[in-house]
Amino acid sequence: MKVTFTLNGIPRQVVVDPDVVLLDLLRDEFRLTGAKQSCDKKGQCGACTVIVDGKAVRSCLTKVAKLDGADVITIEGLGTPANPHLIQEAFVLAGAVQCGFCTPGMIMAAKALLDVHPDPSTAQIKRALRHNLCRCTGYVKIIEAVKLAGEFLRGEKTPDELRPDPHGAKLGVSHPRPSALIKACGVAQFTADILAPGALELAAVHSPHPHALIKSIDTKAAEAMPGVAGVMTAKDIKGSNRHNYMVPDRPVLCEDRVRYIGDPVAVVAAETREQALAAVAAVRVEYEPLPALGSPHEAMAEGAPQIHSEWANLCLTQPQIKGDAARAFAEAAHVVEGHYHTQMVHQAPLEPEVCLAFFDGEGDDAQLVVVGRSINIHKHLAMLQEATGWEDMRYEEAYVGGQFGIKIDVTSEGIAAAAALHFRRAVRYIPSLPESMYLSPKRHPFDVKVKVAADADGNLTALGMDVVIDNGAYNSMGNVVMSRAMMMLSGSYNFPAVDARARLVYTNNPWGAAARGAGPPQVNYALESAVDRLAREMKIDPLEFRRRNSLRPGQSKSTGQVVDEWPFPELCDAIKPHYDRAVREAREMGEGTKKRGVGVAGGSFGIGGPNDQSMVAVELDPDDGITVYGAVADPGEGNDSMLSQLAADAMDLPLDKVRLVTRDTDHTTANGPAAASRHTYMSGGALLDAIRQLREAMAACGATTYADMQKAGVPTRYMGTRKTVVGTLDPETGQGPSFESQVHALQLAEVEVDTETGEVRVIRMTCAADAGRVIHPDNVIGQLQGGMDMGVGLALREEYVPGKTKDWVTFKYPTMKTAFDMDVIICETPRKRGSNGAVGVGEMTLVPTAPAVLNAIEDAVGVRIYDLPATPDKVKAALAAMR
Amino acid sequence: MTEVPEPRGGSGRELGLSRHYRDIAGRRVLFDNEGFLWSADDWTEDLAAALGAEMGLDTFTEDHWRVLRFFREYYATNGRAPLNRQLAAGTGMRLLDLEELFPGGIRRGARRLAGLPNPKTCT
Repeated sequence: MKVTFTLNGIPRQVVVDPDVVLLDLLRDEFRLTGAKQSCDKKGQCGACTVIVDGKAVRSCLTKVAKLDGADVITIEGLGTPANPHLIQEAFVLAGAVQCGFCTPGMIMAAKALLDVHPDPSTAQIKRALRHNLCRCTGYVKIIEAVKLAGEFLRGEKTPDELRPDPHGAKLGVSHPRPSALIKACGVAQFTADILAPGALELAAVHSPHPHALIKSIDTKAAEAMPGVAGVMTAKDIKGSNRHNYMVPDRPVLCEDRVRYIGDPVAVVAAETREQALAAVAAVRVEYEPLPALGSPHEAMAEGAPQIHSEWANLCLTQPQIKGDAARAFAEAAHVVEGHYHTQMVHQAPLEPEVCLAFFDGEGDDAQLVVVGRSINIHKHLAMLQEATGWEDMRYEEAYVGGQFGIKIDVTSEGIAAAAALHFRRAVRYIPSLPESMYLSPKRHPFDVKVKVAADADGNLTALGMDVVIDNGAYNSMGNVVMSRAMMMLSGSYNFPAVDARARLVYTNNPWGAAARGAGPPQVNYALESAVDRLAREMKIDPLEFRRRNSLRPGQSKSTGQVVDEWPFPELCDAIKPHYDRAVREAREMGEGTKKRGVGVAGGSFGIGGPNDQSMVAVELDPDDGITVYGAVADPGEGNDSMLSQLAADAMDLPLDKVRLVTRDTDHTTANGPAAASRHTYMSGGALLDAIRQLREAMAACGATTYADMQKAGVPTRYMGTRKTVVGTLDPETGQGPSFESQVHALQLAEVEVDTETGEVRVIRMTCAADAGRVIHPDNVIGQLQGGMDMGVGLALREEYVPGKTKDWVTFKYPTMKTAFDMDVIICETPRKRGSNGAVGVGEMTLVPTAPAVLNAIEDAVGVRIYDLPATPDKVKAALAAMR
Repeated sequence: MTEVPEPRGGSGRELGLSRHYRDIAGRRVLFDNEGFLWSADDWTEDLAAALGAEMGLDTFTEDHWRVLRFFREYYATNGRAPLNRQLAAGTGMRLLDLEELFPGGIRRGARRLAGLPNPKTCT
């Protein structure tokens, strides 16, 4: 049928099938890719929001057939980077743009609201944007951005009044992120936005069984289906067919066995994704189910089958012994024990695990280019070379819609690269949400038995922990997660004696890898819960107990490493007025069936771990600006701001004279992952080292410009490095080097517990944090807010159950409805070894959150939940048991 | 803490994760689990010769040194290893010849002997 409508002010006529939705028409036909797809067009995410006849609509649910005569506006029609709309400018200046994937949809929903309500309240904003999901921000800055946009539109303020002077101070100033405006204008290209006409579309066959032999794979029927170019199985992969992050245990496509629900078995390539999905359903895989090991304890039991023939189910054991814990426990005035369990969680970035692979060049000289969401492009390139057997490759990082640890490892790229090589054509892999969940690693579930002891004065004397980690079916970097947990075991506190052990175990569960914090959040939940209970049982105020027991310079962590700076007590002091206010309000309120509670928890997260190195090159350019070369991924945390502001400050340049080349393996230094909150410390440090060398070279020859250096015959390019100490924890004692610095935080949770339903509502989270010198205040605050939002999800709602968690509703995604008020208190203690005193903050943000919330629940209603998430059912059951 | 009978495994060695120090060419040097130098700064020509001898390469010709020098200069300038075609173009040698020149080929032979970090090193 023919439909006539206006699109961004231009009359359009289209002939479409009745079922075509507006989102597909915009993206596929009009090439307007600002509206995004995340939720498989179920209308759950709002990333596709556009305006139709003045109303915000989800274009994935809007049939084009119903648009005859309509006026449609997309983000591209609102403003461009050269001529942005005031709402787009407001989002940028309010710091509401992180990964940018949700941003166009948010802005369009905001526009529709502001056109009708030019001065909206918070409640009106939350209602208008209730269909728009965000994983990065925690929604606070988005609400602030909409209000700021209202002020701009009403003429009360202008963007120029708020925009920092780009020639002014570079550190401690929230200069607009280099990528923020193009994200706000919907022209930042994420992988699925890249046009690839003629590329085959992929879909994969995934195992429905947690453990099974593959007896046969019959692809004949699938191969005969319309549009199908072919079906690929493991035998078609020429290389090792292994994703060898640290251990070569994970196949690109399974050969004779599957080890978790979702393990990929075959790949269909077809002209369209619909054809590929239809053919996937026609692939016949004969499985012989095997006993599935659903927990580490089952996997460690006598006689348990081995999941991998080459490696024992118990991958790794790491003790940690400091002092004489047995004696300390025996002599303690007070001891608390508890057994805590944390759940498997999907990190849930909004963007699916999209990947594109194509050939640059012809024949045997062709370079295979993989475009995806990697946070470690050089390592992933090396892994893909080995897995596929093709050496001439390039990895390009597109704009990435969040990752939160999920992209520490290769997910969809192995399949895409292998398929491109097999079919000798460009391929595009846009997995559905369930597929993305199958392909990607999860937060490791931890089982933690914890014991803490104190003397009669309330000083902590001993810590005991027995940690069992569910590694899932494949190792990835599970050993690193375990190691990091052990290196931060004692949290913020001084424990003179420690007796701990951690064990990492293969199971037939989805494989684990990095997930914001990657180990420490799980152990910190147990530690902070036990410390809280100890304080309460000793009738010592929980905040005072933490301040009193803070580690101090000259004391040692559980690893035996002596610290020389530890600004944690100061955070206790900074949050105290908020804590006192919260406690007073909670005692005054909470009548009837709804009870108020207040909880605190601390965290001290290591930065600059051992065995790390970073290399960043800088080059003086002919215009006397500089270009920075280094693979520094930025899936939303603001590494582009960090690099450009550090460089501009060190070189005394305006920001627009600093260029960044960070996204492809052909032009960058191999620089390690955007993980472990390391880039500010490591890559920032390497950058400053490179600039120091450049400035020294300029000074040595008396040069002030590029031309001077050329004339003097002096190189204009310098390689900076930063390395940390080499070493590991002793395998018997767990003593050894850990981190060169720390970021500290204390979080305060104010909750309301409905004693009838068990529902817990977070009213407010307050975070006092010290990440050293702050380079970009809004970026730090934004990370803290987003992390707290994610931490509340970890505490109360989220759990990945394979086969059942398959979209954003079953995931229980945070929304405007679950959003809560947040306050952030920033303290700045310049770190001796920081990059201009700065360290990273991205993961610290949720390390204390879950225990703060759970401590608040106990404060409210006297029950302790030991098994995350603290769902209404669990709270209700605990209340019933208490009665 | 409640004691649980110890299951098999757990050292990490089975997973092949261990870095290790070796005494070689008169020094103590750290290697990763695949025999690559942990730090490119530890490289010397003597170390390369000692590692080569272990691989069966007793004599280094001018071709060997040209390849190793190219690797190291490329790494020092670009912070990454060259792709094979860049190595071939930079040394003026054919890929087939480069693969045969070193035991273990380009990746496990030449790159190792040039002291560049393992491409798969997890930092």
